[in-house]
This record gives sequence, C-alpha cells and structure tokens, in this order.
Amino acid sequence: MTTTPTTHLTDTQTQALLLKLTVLADDEIILAHRDGEWTGHAPILEEDIALANIAQDELGHAGLYLSLAQTLGGSDPDRVAFWRGPDDYRNTRLVELPKGDWAFTMVRQFLYDTAEALWLEAATRSTYAPLAEIAAKAVREEKFHVQHTALWVERLALGTPESERRTQAALTELWPHAAQLFQPVEGEAELTAAGILPDLNAVHARWTDLVTRHLVDKCGLTLPDAPTTQPGRDTHTHHLAPLLEEMQSVARQHPDAEVW
Amino acid sequence: MTQSQFLSSDTQWPRWEVFKQDAPNRPHQAVGSVHAGDPPHALVTARNVFVRRPAAVSLWCVREDDILTATPEELATHPALLDSPGEAGTYHVGVKRTNKRSMTFVDLSGTVTADGPGDALRQAQSLHPDVLAWMVFPESAVVRTDEDPGTVESWFAPAKDKTYKQQQHYGVIGRHVGELKRAGLMPGRAASEEGA
Repeated sequence: MTTTPTTHLTDTQTQALLLKLTVLADDEIILAHRDGEWTGHAPILEEDIALANIAQDELGHAGLYLSLAQTLGGSDPDRVAFWRGPDDYRNTRLVELPKGDWAFTMVRQFLYDTAEALWLEAATRSTYAPLAEIAAKAVREEKFHVQHTALWVERLALGTPESERRTQAALTELWPHAAQLFQPVEGEAELTAAGILPDLNAVHARWTDLVTRHLVDKCGLTLPDAPTTQPGRDTHTHHLAPLLEEMQSVARQHPDAEVW
Repeated sequence: MTQSQFLSSDTQWPRWEVFKQDAPNRPHQAVGSVHAGDPPHALVTARNVFVRRPAAVSLWCVREDDILTATPEELATHPALLDSPGEAGTYHVGVKRTNKRSMTFVDLSGTVTADGPGDALRQAQSLHPDVLAWMVFPESAVVRTDEDPGTVESWFAPAKDKTYKQQQHYGVIGRHVGELKRAGLMPGRAASEEGA
C-alpha cells in the first residue's frame, strides 16, 4: 500500500469510491433501522436506550459517508436514503434480516461492529484525507459498540441453557451472511492499490481471528461453515422491501418537506 | 437508609448508582442509576445512558446495597443509622447541598477512614453539617472506567463533539407552527375566516 497522499481522484477512482461509500452507508442505514425496531421493546430500559444510541451512531456514520459521496458528485444524502427502492440498495443481507430475538440482534451487531471497527481503523490510514478523517471520527464510537455487544454475546452464550441455545442459533444463521461484509465492490482493487481504501482481505483475516477468539475461545460457541460463494450485494431477501417501505414512508408522503 | 427495603419486590437486575466526572478537576457526581447484572455491564450501561451528550472523563458505579444515605430528618428519627455495621476502611462521602437548580446532584467531596458505614456517615455529618443529604460507600465497592487513552477515546471523546441542542434547534417537517402563524398561514378557523 502506498502512503503518498491522494489529492486527485481519477474518474474511475471516483466512481468506485462513490459505490463503496454507498455500500457502507447502506449497511449502516439498514442495520440502524433494525436496531431502531427495538425502541420501546428491548429487554430493559437501559438496553433500549443503548441500542437507540448505537442505531443513531450508525446513522451518523451513514451521514458521514453520504456527505463525502455528495462532494464527489453523489446525490443528496436524504434522496439516497429515502428515495431508492430495494433494487437499488446495496446493503448486505446480514443487516436486512428481521431483528429476531435479543441474541440474534446482539450477535449480528457484534459481527458487524467488529468488522466495521477493524475496517475503520485501517481506513484512518487512507491516503485520501477526507476518508481518513471520517474513519478517525467514526472508529471511536465503533470501538465502544464492540465492547457493548461483545459483553452481551458473552453473557448470553455463557448464561442459561436457553440463552446459550438462542445465541448459537443466531450465530449459525448469521455466520454465512457475515462473509458478505468482505466482498469488494467493482473497482475496489484499484482504490486499495492506491492506498485510498483498506485491504479488505487483510481486514477479513483480522476480523476472523478476532471473532473466533471471542465467539469460540471465550464464549464456547461453534462457528458453522460459511458457504464458499455468496451472491452479491444486489441480491436481497424478501425482508428488505417491507423495511424500506416503513423507513421511507414519511419522506415519501411529504416529498415537498422543506426542513427535516 | 438504603433503597433496597423499598424495592424488595423488584425483579430487575441490581441497581447501580452512577457517578460521572465532567472534567479532571471536578468531583464525581451522582447522576442517576442503571440496572445491570455485573460490574462491567454496569459501566457499559452507564456510559450508554449518561454519556451520550454531555462531556465526561470518568464513570464510577456502586451497587445500591453498598450505599448508605441519610437526610438530617432521617437521622433525627433513625439515629441507629449512625451505627450501621459494615467493613472498616476508606469511605467516599457525598453531599447534596441544594435543590435550587433543575438538576441537582450528590457531589462526592472526599474520603474518610471509618470503622463502617455508620461511622462514615457520622463523619460526613460532622464534616458537612448544613446539607440536605449525605451519602457514604466503601472504596472497595467502586467499579471504575479505565483511564487508558483507548477507553477515553471510545467512551468519552465522541460525546465532546456532540453539542447539546435545545429542542427547538431540531427541524420539523415543513415549517414551524410559530412561523406559519406569523405569516398568517396557520390552517384552522382563523386562517379560513381570513381567507373567506
């Protein structure tokens, strides 16, 4: 990876970076919505507040990505979030699955937070300063998210027989989808070679090591085999469309709203 | 007087009093409480609930069962509180001085060496005779956030960038009702009469 500062992006690089920023934002937006579905329903008030905090942080990260995308020629962040349908969203299937039980939500959040924290940490060394700045800001929150969700996964896995069963069931269902977080977008290799984006394979290796140590060594859970090939981010489950319908309903009912 | 006797039917996890320090030279203040299953969970939960916006540099949590509190009125009617038994050692002393602000806290004001919580309370009363309430708990009952740079960065630094904003700062869909009223655009009887 080169360390020369990137001051000018070629058109190809700009297009690839726009796509990457959209992909990152889409994961944040959809996961934040799933987390937000717990508001008023979490096991205890404190966790209700905590998960709402986490959801707001993830939405904030989406805002950072989409604002940068806008400066690179992308659309207004609100248009991107509220006016694209399921065919145009590029989030992983990992984040669009229904919220499930508390174990499912915590295991998913743990798999996601660890991936995001490691990616952001690497992105703080981006040769493209605007991205490095975003990463430096977001990685701090993400490291705290990891502590929160790692703590929960541990207590659920080592708690009662029921909580252990639910946690293992969640991991078994989610694990194959988590690999999708490490699929590169079109043109990503060139950005990685220029030091603009982190090396996704290296992040994946660090992530596998980190989550294996926690889930297997510390929590006694079993990792299922991940399928070797995964459909791309343009393939969604039937769960995404109703999520977007609800999430976008207010914006679409008030297309001429002047202030949000 | 501990709270537990009033909450004997409480089926929740133990309650922990949360003490937040806003800046390095400020006292820790009791800002509220959380329910949590164990010390690390209490700290993480306290961070989520109490450090999203205002600045902080340190959090302590203390289980309610380890805290002894009293008002002057309670001491007058229950003087035996000053004999509350417990371990000898270093005790933190907190005092509540005023009810005048909208948010008033118990400020931790220092430590005393005591034979037990009752003795610590007696010393608190003697050190701070003119306050609304005293609180004491042993140093051994305190769980604290780490002071390493990583913890400070991820637990406390993000809140510093998030300015607390008054409610009216936040946008509404369309225009604010006051603005519409001033412009004579407020829908309803008055507007329709004007329009008629």
